[in-house]
Amino acid sequence: MQKLVIIGAGMASGRMLEHIHETDPAAFSVTIFNAEPRGNYNRIMLSPVLAGDRSFEEIITHDDDWYAQNKVTTRFGERVTGIDRERKVVIGEQGEVPYDKLILATGSTPFIIPVPGHDLPGVVGYRDLEDTNAMIDAAANQGASAVVIGGGLLGLEAAAGLRMRGMEVTVLHIAGHLMDRQLDEAAGYLLKLDLEKRGIKVMTEANTKAIVGEGKAEKVLLDDGTELAADIVVMAAGIRPAGQLGQQAGLEMGRAIKVNAQMQTSDPDIYAVGECVEFDENIFGLVAPLYDQAKVLANTLLGQEDAFTVRELSTKLKVTGCDLFSAGDFAEGEGREDIVFRDPKRRVYKRLIVEDDKLIGAVMYGDTADSNWFFGLIKDGTNIEEMRETLIFGPSFQGGGAAASDPLAAVAALPLDAEICGCNGVCKGDIISAIEGGVTTLDGVRMTTKASASCGTCTGLVEQVLAVSLGDGFEISKEKPVCKCTDLTHEDVRRLIKSQELKSQPAVWQELAWKTPNGCHVCRPAINYYLISDWPLEYQDDLQSRFVNERNHANIQKDGTYSVMPRMWGGMTTPDELIAVANAAKKFNAAVKVTGGQRIDLLGIKKEDLPAIWSDLNEAGMVSGHAYTKGLRTVKTCVGTDWCRFGTQDSTGLGIKLEKKLWGSWTPHKVKLGVSGCPRNCAEATCKDIGIICVDSGYQISVAGAAGMDVKMTESLVDVATEAEVEEWVSAFMQLYRENAKYLDRAYKWVDKVGLDWVKEELSNPDTRKALVERFDISQSVYRKDPWADHIRNRSEQYQHLADLTEEAVA
Amino acid sequence: MNMHTLPVSDTFVRVAEVWVPKDGRLVHAEGDYAHSPAFAAASVAESFAKGEGLPGKVWESGKPIVLKEFDGSYFKRRDAAEEAGLTSAVAIPVFAEDTLKAVLVLFCSADADHMGAIEIWEYMEERLTLADGYYGGATRFEAASKNISFSHGQGLPGGVWSANTPILKRDIGRAGSFLRSEQAAEVGLKTGLGLPIPTPGDNVFVLTLLSALNTPIAHRFEIWDARPECVGATRQAQLIDGLCKREGALWAQQNPPVDPTMVSAWMGPIGKVLGTGLPYVQREGAGLPAGYTSMFALPIYHEADLAYVVACYL
Repeated sequence: MQKLVIIGAGMASGRMLEHIHETDPAAFSVTIFNAEPRGNYNRIMLSPVLAGDRSFEEIITHDDDWYAQNKVTTRFGERVTGIDRERKVVIGEQGEVPYDKLILATGSTPFIIPVPGHDLPGVVGYRDLEDTNAMIDAAANQGASAVVIGGGLLGLEAAAGLRMRGMEVTVLHIAGHLMDRQLDEAAGYLLKLDLEKRGIKVMTEANTKAIVGEGKAEKVLLDDGTELAADIVVMAAGIRPAGQLGQQAGLEMGRAIKVNAQMQTSDPDIYAVGECVEFDENIFGLVAPLYDQAKVLANTLLGQEDAFTVRELSTKLKVTGCDLFSAGDFAEGEGREDIVFRDPKRRVYKRLIVEDDKLIGAVMYGDTADSNWFFGLIKDGTNIEEMRETLIFGPSFQGGGAAASDPLAAVAALPLDAEICGCNGVCKGDIISAIEGGVTTLDGVRMTTKASASCGTCTGLVEQVLAVSLGDGFEISKEKPVCKCTDLTHEDVRRLIKSQELKSQPAVWQELAWKTPNGCHVCRPAINYYLISDWPLEYQDDLQSRFVNERNHANIQKDGTYSVMPRMWGGMTTPDELIAVANAAKKFNAAVKVTGGQRIDLLGIKKEDLPAIWSDLNEAGMVSGHAYTKGLRTVKTCVGTDWCRFGTQDSTGLGIKLEKKLWGSWTPHKVKLGVSGCPRNCAEATCKDIGIICVDSGYQISVAGAAGMDVKMTESLVDVATEAEVEEWVSAFMQLYRENAKYLDRAYKWVDKVGLDWVKEELSNPDTRKALVERFDISQSVYRKDPWADHIRNRSEQYQHLADLTEEAVA
Repeated sequence: MNMHTLPVSDTFVRVAEVWVPKDGRLVHAEGDYAHSPAFAAASVAESFAKGEGLPGKVWESGKPIVLKEFDGSYFKRRDAAEEAGLTSAVAIPVFAEDTLKAVLVLFCSADADHMGAIEIWEYMEERLTLADGYYGGATRFEAASKNISFSHGQGLPGGVWSANTPILKRDIGRAGSFLRSEQAAEVGLKTGLGLPIPTPGDNVFVLTLLSALNTPIAHRFEIWDARPECVGATRQAQLIDGLCKREGALWAQQNPPVDPTMVSAWMGPIGKVLGTGLPYVQREGAGLPAGYTSMFALPIYHEADLAYVVACYL
């Protein structure tokens, strides 16, 4: 009988032993080592043990009786210190064991992030029963806090388990959304909501700086200065194959122990299985491929032909009540098409990724009933061309005839008790009754039944019911939706962002039932602006949702170079500033242009030189002129009472004050100001978005002018006596415009829509004005800063070439 | 394990019965009174108006009720119950949105040999606090329960509340495993079953049945997921968790589950709950797992849809 020695009693080797004993129990005399003082248990069920949803006894797969019955010699609790391939012996702490065939099943070890304090007592990985017990023991201290580093599968299961045991739990995840390897941003958003509902605090983009404490972990410090109390710190930042024994034995290694399709290592008598192997450049962490390997290895050892192949995997999170599914490839890419279904009320999100008429990936949250069917389509590479239109609705909808592919037919086929508006519980029959009662418009349905009056995501459906019922008698709303990603108008979206307190892009996509995973080039800039405008403190500006000029904080020119324009407050400058501008122009070989906005434009700057030229100008005290933004551009002034014989007020001084108050703010479109010192209007203030004309009695404030594609004179807003009042009214007008206008509507277009009378009425109320100014100031506390300085400090690399081929060639 | 039938008398729950609304009253639908025929006779002849007796009180109040003693209460079948050795009861309403579908009443017998706890947790100021509970002789555990509250996701009640899912917890007597583990261990409590009890309005109720090793609530527990988002549009359910004194763990051993145990409407006792949408009680007959003679099952709704079925086998 051949001597088979196994190092590691994990799930892979356990399954392999089962196969061998089922097929030919007399084939080998088996000895099994395990560093843990126990045999095989279902390791993936440690999370439910931590949560108390399982007992450890329930997850033991092979107990002492099993090993005894199958005549397996166990060396549990004994580490293997080496392998002597010459003599074909395994060297254990308690002595040597000879082998004919050896199997390495050493599994993996948790990756411990090497931050200061990672070796303090109270910092645990999450791999085995000892780790699980350490966490359970920590939870015995009522009111204790836990920090889980890592928002992947294991980390979240640990967090949910610790929370169930009563701990205050914070999850730190370095990426922008949870489970970023398995889920897209939209599903990650829903998962975060679900976990927060369980009282778990989730921090994404969280960088751990250190773990500190007196003799044990007490706090976790983050890069941004956040301090989190921690009685226990769980490192769940991934696993690393434990291939050291193979390496020491001189086996061929990659990232792990290399094996062929028969699980054989570079030594023909040594095999490896499980998480410690590398096959075809793949390493493994989920259990399904481990079981496949175990079967292949058992067959190989028994002399039967078999070969391991890598197969598609799916993922399920073991947190009670969190229904998610992910499989295949869900990255965006050219030639790939997304099919998205969202149900905000049920918190459902489904996304299918199609390429070349085949389903290549699926992400689902909240409704995973059809996940196996989708997984089958992915695995089998089924051609889905004929069911593309209804694919997202799952297998039960295939072959559904006209109702399946024609939305109007589908609506017509709905029973009268089918719910149309989930928010207000309005059924199709209610809407039909309203229509029969004389209602012919969407607004009429809203007023009569409340359908579509809350979140508005059923608007399209309500319109379809109207269309089905009224035929030609109904005209779909002329107000256009934001883009093809949604049926909602800009106004709807603005209203809902406020009323539903949506504070992130994923929240908007999900809660407003966006039809695409992450919006498109049309809606993303608008949504980004609305979120900045409504939630300046909570929302983080998303550079990827900005046009190229705003991303790079410079205007791209037709030859691909950029123009750089420093701010000159109120059109005033100094000899030192001019010297700095001149030096920069020479150094970076710029063309120099004096603009109509009383500034100096440096043209022809290469993208990679932008940080350097900004750095030079910053050093001279100059900041971005925002000549590229949907925000405050320039404040044009005349010389006013300081120099002009006709000047009635200090127009230059007022212009500088206004510019210093308003700069940096983001607005729906660009905003230009002019301040003229007298009615002669040398600063051309009456064709600006906001114009101030100084007169002997004070200041005339007018708004909504234009001098571009449209030319329009400003209209009087108010006359005031003091500069302070000018600042107040101008700030309040800016904020009213910021909060209410549609993205890309200049002020004059917006005023034309809402009416100047409404604007005056709003701003005439001192309380409203004061509140608007307060909100503007809060926003400016975040955005009144020089973007150039921030980019020099934090984002210089985005301006560099991806690779310097010259240097590579030289090297 | 031996294959003979497990003794019924050693379970904490002794009698289960179902009352359904009919013509403005709650009428007897089903019951398992095997060891107390007199109580059975008293029950099948009974019906309750709203506010009358224990089922009627549950109907009226729209929430679960624990009746710690029958003497001096509104309980109508006191003599028969006492004669049957029953000491307490919990009545659980089954609501589909605002509609009362049924009331399931479980009767317990607690003495020196029968230990267990039944608790009702109610939402109050962002937490769940004890609204009512029956603890038999477990006075220290009772005191600990009165002094504790749970936030969202915390402990068994908080976990059930946040997940809106029935949860079966093991080893609740182990330190660190359960917030009241020390007191639970003293009285031998081993397993906890937490159930969300939907009621009309915004209030939140969670029922916990805590089971001792020697006198468990039941010998076998099953939790079936019947939500369309889990099992699809067809009326069926998937076994997602369970424990059996005879068979051990009943849950899928792989993740994601491979060929999970499924049951369709009208297939066996669970299928009957799926088909009718009502609680179900069965004594003997086909469909019971080997070695069991009695079971009761409770449907749990999410709004108007049947979402879960929890089954206990005695």
